Amino acid sequence: MQLSLITALALLVLTAVGFLAGRSRALALAEKDGSRLHSLPGYHGYYVALWAGLPGFAVLAAYALAGTMIVNTIVLDRMERAAEPLQARYELALANDDIWSEAEREIARLDDEMAALRGEAEQVIAAEGVQSDAVEALRARQDELQFAQDDARFTRDARANTIAGDIIQAVPEAGDHALARAGFEFARLPVQEREVFLADARALAFGDGLASRDTPELRATAGALQPVHSAIAWGACLGALGLALAGLAFARTHLAVRFRARNRVEWVISATLALASLIAILTTLGIVFSLLFESLRFFAAIDWRVADFLFGTQWSPQTAIRPGQIGQSGSFGAVPLFAGTALITLIAMMVAAPVGLFAAIYLSEYADSRVRAWAKPALEILAGVPTVVYGFFALLTVGPLLRDFALFLGYEDAVTQSALSAGLVMGVMIIPFVSSLSDDVINAVPQSLRDGAYAMGATKSETIRHVVFPAALPGIVGALLLAVSRAVGETMIVVMAAGQAANLTANPLESVTTITVQIVTLLTGDQEFNSPKTLSAFALGLVLFVLTLILNIIALRVVQSYREKYD
Amino acid sequence: MADSAAPAHTAKTVYHSVANTHPVKVAASGVEVFYADKQALHGINLDIQDRSVTAFIGPSGCGKSTFLRCINRMNDTIDTARVAGSIRIDDEEINDRAVDPVLLRARVGMVFQKPNPFPKSIYDNVAYGPRIHGLASGKDELDAIVETSLKKAGLWDEVADRLDQPGNSLSGGQQQRLVIARAIAVNPEVILMDEPCSALDPIATARIEELIDELRENYCLIIVTHSMAQAARVSQMTAFFHLGHLVEYGPTEEIFTNPRDRRTQDYITGRFG
Repeated sequence: MQLSLITALALLVLTAVGFLAGRSRALALAEKDGSRLHSLPGYHGYYVALWAGLPGFAVLAAYALAGTMIVNTIVLDRMERAAEPLQARYELALANDDIWSEAEREIARLDDEMAALRGEAEQVIAAEGVQSDAVEALRARQDELQFAQDDARFTRDARANTIAGDIIQAVPEAGDHALARAGFEFARLPVQEREVFLADARALAFGDGLASRDTPELRATAGALQPVHSAIAWGACLGALGLALAGLAFARTHLAVRFRARNRVEWVISATLALASLIAILTTLGIVFSLLFESLRFFAAIDWRVADFLFGTQWSPQTAIRPGQIGQSGSFGAVPLFAGTALITLIAMMVAAPVGLFAAIYLSEYADSRVRAWAKPALEILAGVPTVVYGFFALLTVGPLLRDFALFLGYEDAVTQSALSAGLVMGVMIIPFVSSLSDDVINAVPQSLRDGAYAMGATKSETIRHVVFPAALPGIVGALLLAVSRAVGETMIVVMAAGQAANLTANPLESVTTITVQIVTLLTGDQEFNSPKTLSAFALGLVLFVLTLILNIIALRVVQSYREKYD
Repeated sequence: MADSAAPAHTAKTVYHSVANTHPVKVAASGVEVFYADKQALHGINLDIQDRSVTAFIGPSGCGKSTFLRCINRMNDTIDTARVAGSIRIDDEEINDRAVDPVLLRARVGMVFQKPNPFPKSIYDNVAYGPRIHGLASGKDELDAIVETSLKKAGLWDEVADRLDQPGNSLSGGQQQRLVIARAIAVNPEVILMDEPCSALDPIATARIEELIDELRENYCLIIVTHSMAQAARVSQMTAFFHLGHLVEYGPTEEIFTNPRDRRTQDYITGRFG
């Protein structure tokens, strides 16, 4: 760590030296030649500095990113090869051991039996439903089999541990043998624990962090890590410095009076800028792919019944405690969530679109500059209210008010948490989005168009309706679609005000739930990250992503097609 | 309108004698315009004849466009603008409170520097005025108005088969003629043109000038221009503005061949402006 820090400082110094060297050489060349340089001396300086700094820092960055991985790979490979004889002995011993073999056969037999049972259960469920006595009996039988299999597993693993222990005991602790023992132990570790093993070994070797254990095997691994690590570190740092020096010398020989240093520096700058945009794009891709892979795991967990997920009308994501438990497979029909999202978004837009648009027209066309000066910021304060506060407002004020009003009108089933209260409050929340964006768009309509309409004898509202509004339409559509994406993605208000019941209903006075709310409830609290219940959150996220993507594409299309017509 | 040899550099306007071949259409007296506290026009007195082209010339910022915008009260749309004095069209005071500027603007059409067709089809652009003023009682009548207006503006032959296309799809010169057709469609008495050719190429300019000359038969045209050659080509009367004052006014030929004020002389010979 310190070594690479010193190297980085040395690289910085070399870069500065490169700048000065390049500049002074350029000045000297110009003086000797008596003619004007193509580029200012500073550009020559930058050119040499870039050659000195960039390759060195690139090597250092590569080391920082991949150094640990390379060291681990080399050491683990060495351990594996050292452990090969032990591994061979172990496998032979297992195959010859009666207890182990018997347990292994028992596990396989029980697997077959349970598979047959599940097949039978599917027929029974299809014939008599999930809640029948026959299913209950089958479930009890399944539990028995499961316990038997767990016993067999326990026996098998205990036997394997004993045999492995015997083999390790036979190997001395010292020297190369220690590494072989370490490799053998590492190979027997479950995948999750391998990370811990490596972290412990690194802690013992380099003192970064605390080791959770201290065994001869870990010591041996640590001992193997140390020399490899320092070799790689020294190699990277010296390589970086060497490259920097070489780059400096190489670039210096390039300099000449006619040398176009300015253009070369320009190229590096444009490459840097392109890199920055590439990072943004790659991050987006990364997010998409992580979402996609988790969703694929979910779809695999529900046996690829993607259509059931997209078009099913029953959402109850409780799943079995054990894999394959009969009648407890959970129900992942997401239509109620989509419908809830659509209902709340629709209500919100019915509030936000007219109010926001009219406010924007008033502010940009009618209000005089004094009113505008305080009204516009005041409206935008709405955008600064935290969504949680809107949530309170919806839950404590709007919800009860709407319920009482509905009761007063004679609707008996009115509840406090309803799609209507969440939608109304969300609509208020996105008013400033619509008004602010539309206001900008309306202001961008050229004054000459308004003048044209006034000169034809149009009144103010005629001018706005016939000329300004159509000209601003693409921008306004864009603003509305942006508001829709905002409404679709909004979570907090809905969690608090709309309830969490996955009702499939078009009645705005009932509780509904949305995609985002379900993602929150699925992923908060204690969750296993490999149960379909949790994984379904990622599939919902993917749907949400695709939905907003489609919305954006439509928005772009609309805007473009109007552009062609009106600009 | 006294025919006097006034000395150069006074606030007094020099008026050339005019053969009154046409009746006076627009009569301005003592017109002053203020933008906030800044005075843009000082006591303008000017009689403009019907069925002729009157050109306003002068250096940038001299007030000629401001005065033009007084004639259809377009200055009302600017919050800070204030207009004083009297402008009469056919002996009717237009600065009177009783006059509805919306109706006035139907009588006084205007064409701007940059072509500004509405974001509508060619047909709807021309039909816009007749529609909002209820000038046509049916589809056939409206079609007829659109066709006549486009013909008068010399654009019909070029757009007859694509009336449903957006106005912006036309070339700059065609757009400017479309805007003129739009102005003609409400059958105005006066047409104001604010540098109508400054955004056009020479060929399109020639076409518009030809059109202006044809329109003179039926309308009172007032045109602001930076091109003295254009003023000389299309106008019968010319008014020279300078620093918010009307310096000299008379028949175009006389203004260009025999300017009496020193500033007019300097301007048209290209010594300033």
